[in-house]
Amino acid sequence: MLMLKAMPSTAGDPARDAVPATKMRLSIHSEGSRGLRFLLDRGAHSVFLACALVVVALIVGILVFLSLRGFAAFLPLAGNTGRTLSFAEVFLSTEWAPSSDKFGILSFMAGSLSVTMLALLVAAPSGILTAVFVTLLAPGWMKTLMRQVMDLLVGIPSVVYGIFGLTFLLPLISAKWLKDSPAAGFFAAACILMVMIVPTIVSLSMDAFEALPRTLDEGALALGSTRWQSIWRVLIPAASPRLLTAVVLGMGRAIGEAMAVQMVIGNNPAWLSLMREATDRAPLIRFLFTPAATLTTELVQELPNTAAGSAWNNVLFAMGLLLFLMTMGIILATRRLGQRGAV
Amino acid sequence: MNLMQKPRMRMKPQALARWTDRIMRCVLWVIAIGFIAVLLIFVGAILKQGWPVLNLGFFTKMPESLDAGGGIKPELFNSIYLVALSLAVSLPTGIGAGIYLAEYAGQGRVLRFFRLCIETLAGTPSIVLALFGMIVFVQTLGWSFSLRAGAMTLALLNIPVITRVTEMSLRSVPPDLKEASYGLGATKLQTILKVLLPYSATGILTGVVLAAGRAFGESAILVFTAGTNVSSRFPDFRLTAPGESLAVHLWYVTSDGTLPDAREIAAGTAAAMILVLLILNLGVRFIDYRIRKRTR
Amino acid sequence: MPITDHQEQKPVKLRARNLDFSYGDKKVLDGISMDIFAEQATAIIGPSGCGKSTFLKCFNRIHEVSSEVRVAGDLEIDGVDIFRGGIHEVELRRRVGMVFQKPNPFPKSIYENVVFGPKLFGVRDRDILDGIAEESLRKAALWDEVKDRLKESAMSMSGGQQQRLCIARALAVNPEVLLMDEPCSALDPIATAKIEELIFELKKEFTVLMVTHNMQQAARVSDYTAFFWLGRLIEMGPTERIFTNPRDRMTEDYISGRFG
Repeated sequence: MLMLKAMPSTAGDPARDAVPATKMRLSIHSEGSRGLRFLLDRGAHSVFLACALVVVALIVGILVFLSLRGFAAFLPLAGNTGRTLSFAEVFLSTEWAPSSDKFGILSFMAGSLSVTMLALLVAAPSGILTAVFVTLLAPGWMKTLMRQVMDLLVGIPSVVYGIFGLTFLLPLISAKWLKDSPAAGFFAAACILMVMIVPTIVSLSMDAFEALPRTLDEGALALGSTRWQSIWRVLIPAASPRLLTAVVLGMGRAIGEAMAVQMVIGNNPAWLSLMREATDRAPLIRFLFTPAATLTTELVQELPNTAAGSAWNNVLFAMGLLLFLMTMGIILATRRLGQRGAV
Repeated sequence: MNLMQKPRMRMKPQALARWTDRIMRCVLWVIAIGFIAVLLIFVGAILKQGWPVLNLGFFTKMPESLDAGGGIKPELFNSIYLVALSLAVSLPTGIGAGIYLAEYAGQGRVLRFFRLCIETLAGTPSIVLALFGMIVFVQTLGWSFSLRAGAMTLALLNIPVITRVTEMSLRSVPPDLKEASYGLGATKLQTILKVLLPYSATGILTGVVLAAGRAFGESAILVFTAGTNVSSRFPDFRLTAPGESLAVHLWYVTSDGTLPDAREIAAGTAAAMILVLLILNLGVRFIDYRIRKRTR
Repeated sequence: MPITDHQEQKPVKLRARNLDFSYGDKKVLDGISMDIFAEQATAIIGPSGCGKSTFLKCFNRIHEVSSEVRVAGDLEIDGVDIFRGGIHEVELRRRVGMVFQKPNPFPKSIYENVVFGPKLFGVRDRDILDGIAEESLRKAALWDEVKDRLKESAMSMSGGQQQRLCIARALAVNPEVLLMDEPCSALDPIATAKIEELIFELKKEFTVLMVTHNMQQAARVSDYTAFFWLGRLIEMGPTERIFTNPRDRMTEDYISGRFG
């Protein structure tokens, strides 16, 4: 301020020359710094825009780099050391034996789908019902407690979930139900995943219920419905587009989870054939307790052992690309759901 | 009128409805208490297994690769260092992007497009980010498995979280506050820096702590970018040093299986991580409490 | 003591005696005693925050769902105590229907909105439901406007239509009393006029208790008017008498627009 006051009065326009000296200094001050202020303002706009564009660049970058490496499996590119594969033998075959040149990932896709659906089977209804409970029925202290429980569950790292499964859940299942035979497989993985995705479903469903106008609930009650009838016949249907979004995003988390699942699922790429061969147990038991593998667990398991440029390595990146495309699909699907909900 | 008299006579559905109401209330209580029990069993089991291992030596010794009795000193250091490094990248970027979305992007297509990108990045599985980081930082830039590669990839995980929380906090600033600032002749930048950011600082801080907690527990990304080794020097601040974190250590000792006391080390590491995260969580609560006290 | 007078031949439908009501520690109603007669429209007027809406909601106990409330005193419907008389609150709400300040149709079709109540009480027969729907919509003066688009979403209707749909929905469970909480406050003058006309018809068959901040509306529609101020009943009497010859100074000030 003081510095600016001392500046010579050349910046003022002729019309202002008539203004008395004290006021003059004030106007010089604002004139002089206004140029700088607006320049800074412009600059800041560009900087903030650049930050936002970083996110866009990241999305494009992920897509481009994963595509380059993923599609290398199917195209005769310069860096390739292995042979060029066809789409059919990768996406439509269940045979995975990289050492004998077999790269079918269908069983991993089936594995990802199975474990995700098993987890959702419990997580979706229990998550939505928990959200109903917390937003509509629970007394104040219970609301606070449940929010903290969900915050803690979501904050636990996936390796810690994994170690819990490995050292607590697997021994428990095998001792209680399986007469000490190993319990690794879809069941244990789905149990762990379910706890991991429930907080996502609960918090998004809570948003959905909180966004409903209260008058809807009152309107149903005023017609003589019980609280549950109001919830079941009015509130849940009214919130359903956003509830579905919550479940879909939970599904996205489940498909993408790697470490926790890898630690308890048993990591057997040939799980389909093992399941077919072992006929001594009921089909459902076999399905739930055969060591298996998913897209993410195979990536964690095998990526460190492969050389860049080999067909094996390329197929693993193609699996990564597939996961990313699924994520994009899921986000776009929730967009659609959101639009439907808004109408 | 006669048509409507009939339902009134039938009391049976109403009695049924009341019973359903009662039963469903009980079911909901049971589900909620079930989740509380799951959390208690979970934290209880981890702490119980890890407790005997947690002593001063465990935190101050270097890890062993073949013998029993190793500690987690460098891993603990790396975890904290990696979180700090990644925040150094993601904090300015995330806050900048958040400011852009809240103050510059308007309400139309531009905003929707950026939101879509941020949601996509937030929803991207960490294993996919790990692959991206591995291609770009480890291989293309030739950084190999190092702290810098790990921190950069970890930042990708944090950016959407920080962007979102910044945007939301800025949007929750009362408009009259903003108008008052403009009314005094402040430019947009001055308004943002001197009015909006200070007002929403506590909200952003909560988000940053959450992002830090997530980064602290992240493993998939770091296995493929920071590696599974630690530097032989301690403390090693070089960005090129290998940077195995606590979470990666926990995963590596259980899956590698060369350590005779892998189980104990894993249990101790898990307990240590849970403790750190519980402390972080209390920190968030404290900030939250402060916000509420201030706004009341 | 409040001034109340009437020369009524009709029976008393709802009765309040020394009703106190508080949300937590905040007292909202203080010793209200009042009779509401069957097949008459009673309007409650008063400045905002005077407890008139709360008083209305006491009769179907809807406020108990979401907040901590304390009630003392007696409320009766047909001489039976609604708190201690063994009427389940769900049954009470069926007998005492309610129309809210803002139209609150469910995000379902027009038809599903109307038959929502009957379905709750176990009516499954399609023909009966259709009959109830038509009858209710006719009574709510909406049938002619919507009979060709019963399957369309209720959210596509205008505000006034939505409010009449809410009235039809309330009528479909065959209530004895209709509570109306400022039913026209969210509507334009034309829609308001339609609803007022409708209330005029409805009171021939139902007991109507309405809250309004619009004194002309009270004067046009109701048979009795009660004036509330700061949680107390100041004066109640035949509408014409209240508006032409208020006996309490406060009532006079309020209806002549000196405060409120």
